[in-house]
Amino acid sequence: MDRESVLRRKTAIAYKTEEKTVLRGYDLSELAEEGYSFYDALFILFQGRIPAAAEEKMLKYEMGEFMEHSMSPSAASAIAVIAGRPNLPTALAASIMTFGGVHGPGAAHGYMMNKYIERARVEGKTLDEMAKILVDEYLDAGEKVMGMGQPQHRDGDPRAEPTHLKQEGLEVGGVYLEFQRAVEKHFHARRKREGKSYVGVNVVGAGNTALMDLGFSPNAGWCIGSVCRGFSCAAHAIYNMKRGHAWAASSREPMVQMLDLSMIKYIGPEDREVPSQEERQEYARKQRESGEYKKWVI
Amino acid sequence: MGNLKEKRIGNLSDPRLPYDYMNRPYGTVPMDTTRLPFQWVSEVAYKNMHRIVARGYDTTELAEQGYGLVDILFIDFQSRIPLIEENEMLHYVLILSLEDGLSMPAAMSRIVGRSKTFLTQACGASILAFGHAYGAYSTFGNVLIEGLARVEKEGKTVEQVATELAREMLGDPALGVSGLMLKDPAARRIFARAEALGVAGEYIAFTEEIVKAAQQISDYPVDLDMLGAIGATMMDLGFTPEATWAILAITRSFGAGAHYIEEVEREDLTRLGQELTPKENYDGPEDRPVPPLADRDRIAKPGQTHTPEEWKKAFDERQKLHGSGFAIMEEIKDPSEKT
Repeated sequence: MDRESVLRRKTAIAYKTEEKTVLRGYDLSELAEEGYSFYDALFILFQGRIPAAAEEKMLKYEMGEFMEHSMSPSAASAIAVIAGRPNLPTALAASIMTFGGVHGPGAAHGYMMNKYIERARVEGKTLDEMAKILVDEYLDAGEKVMGMGQPQHRDGDPRAEPTHLKQEGLEVGGVYLEFQRAVEKHFHARRKREGKSYVGVNVVGAGNTALMDLGFSPNAGWCIGSVCRGFSCAAHAIYNMKRGHAWAASSREPMVQMLDLSMIKYIGPEDREVPSQEERQEYARKQRESGEYKKWVI
Repeated sequence: MGNLKEKRIGNLSDPRLPYDYMNRPYGTVPMDTTRLPFQWVSEVAYKNMHRIVARGYDTTELAEQGYGLVDILFIDFQSRIPLIEENEMLHYVLILSLEDGLSMPAAMSRIVGRSKTFLTQACGASILAFGHAYGAYSTFGNVLIEGLARVEKEGKTVEQVATELAREMLGDPALGVSGLMLKDPAARRIFARAEALGVAGEYIAFTEEIVKAAQQISDYPVDLDMLGAIGATMMDLGFTPEATWAILAITRSFGAGAHYIEEVEREDLTRLGQELTPKENYDGPEDRPVPPLADRDRIAKPGQTHTPEEWKKAFDERQKLHGSGFAIMEEIKDPSEKT
């Protein structure tokens, strides 16, 4: 049996021989035998180090909080994909791929923090001063401040503030927590001054802050968050696969299904005749000239 | 709209069509008010503005009470809080599933990353490596379930069914027995740890019997492999084959995320048209001139066959062209087979 890797690369992450699989120098089997946790293993994977006990606890908390979020874009993707009954991994992949610029933008939040903390250092400003600059720059530009606001938890994400408190309680808060707290303070103050409603910190603002203080890079933090959510999306996909109707459109179900024909609302161009091929060129020329089509271009 | 009745559009006036195509109604279907309106129905979790609840447990309260992701996997997939020993065993399994060197999930993640994508695309792509050969946990688990059902239904012993399975499946990547772990103790240690923690059950015992049977009939050395060790342990922890497949594919995706990051850090991006395929790697038809379009009718050989014999001849010929798909024989459910 050919046991060559399909991809030849120099890697600093892991190697595998007939005798063992080694992650950042540690034999995986020995790590498990020694009683290290899965959270410990993630520190080794992304940081090449065994974490302090409090750090391990914080990651455990963060992943436990983040894993399940009921109906979010990621769960909806998994459910929609499994409706076609492909192999299960397809739905799992879709759920994780749903994490983009808006749904759990962990990496972007991390890069934002790094950028402004670096500016504070270079410009000789305190973290508090730089947090105000960040809030003003984002809001003046009409941009959302990453880490703030969640469309479903409008009073504040129930996971967010407890995550900050846990980070403080475990004494694993660092520069990121101090900066994030300052961002929140200035964000709330400005919205109050402007007579706007309260918008709380979200689970990215809290969780990603914790991950960054635990030493994870923005992308590693994003990976931990989005992949960990994949577990619960898998549960939602399997539930729908085993208990639901394929296609999600059955008219025999007592409840109207997600893809029932009546769920379609159309707001596009009026119904119109298909031109014959003889009419086509003239028709197309007029259509182009009128420019009416442009309002439909997406 | 013009008078469509007087027009002809292709075959749309053909009387063999199931209804009158030229007079089909336009417009969407009205809202169905005779049934309950659509809602996302779930047995797994719900949330409101202030709570996220999985199988009845508030997830923030779970975290505050010291439960972690590994516990919540039991909650989401099995609706129960695991024993401490079960939690420990799952940690053990997840650690071993996290990394596998430059195997397919890592390779897929890295290849996707070379196109300057989001990390999440690469992580998702890595999961697609899990099929019915690599990480075939679903197939493996269902084989165990069906095997134990045969013991029950057919009145056979576990050893007899294990031998039958070994005979039927030796060499199959979903058997959980192979020559892959002859020098690596990791797979055997998983079963030993499950025994030590008191979480080993019927699936581990059955897999052990399959291993024994396979070793007796195989003409090459085989032993328990990682698929068999992890798959059977997950089943004894109460996870279904599908949950097992999902959990382990996702666990590997964390590792694949690190591979994406390293690829971006250490390697170049790949642009469209950049990669060459040298002719020495090509064994298709010889280079040949493109015939003038005007000669098409003279040169072209239609693909239709008109008798089963002609069809068989063409089918066999088509199998010789790699990439045509005719050499792949996928199994589908056979309704003539009685279960």
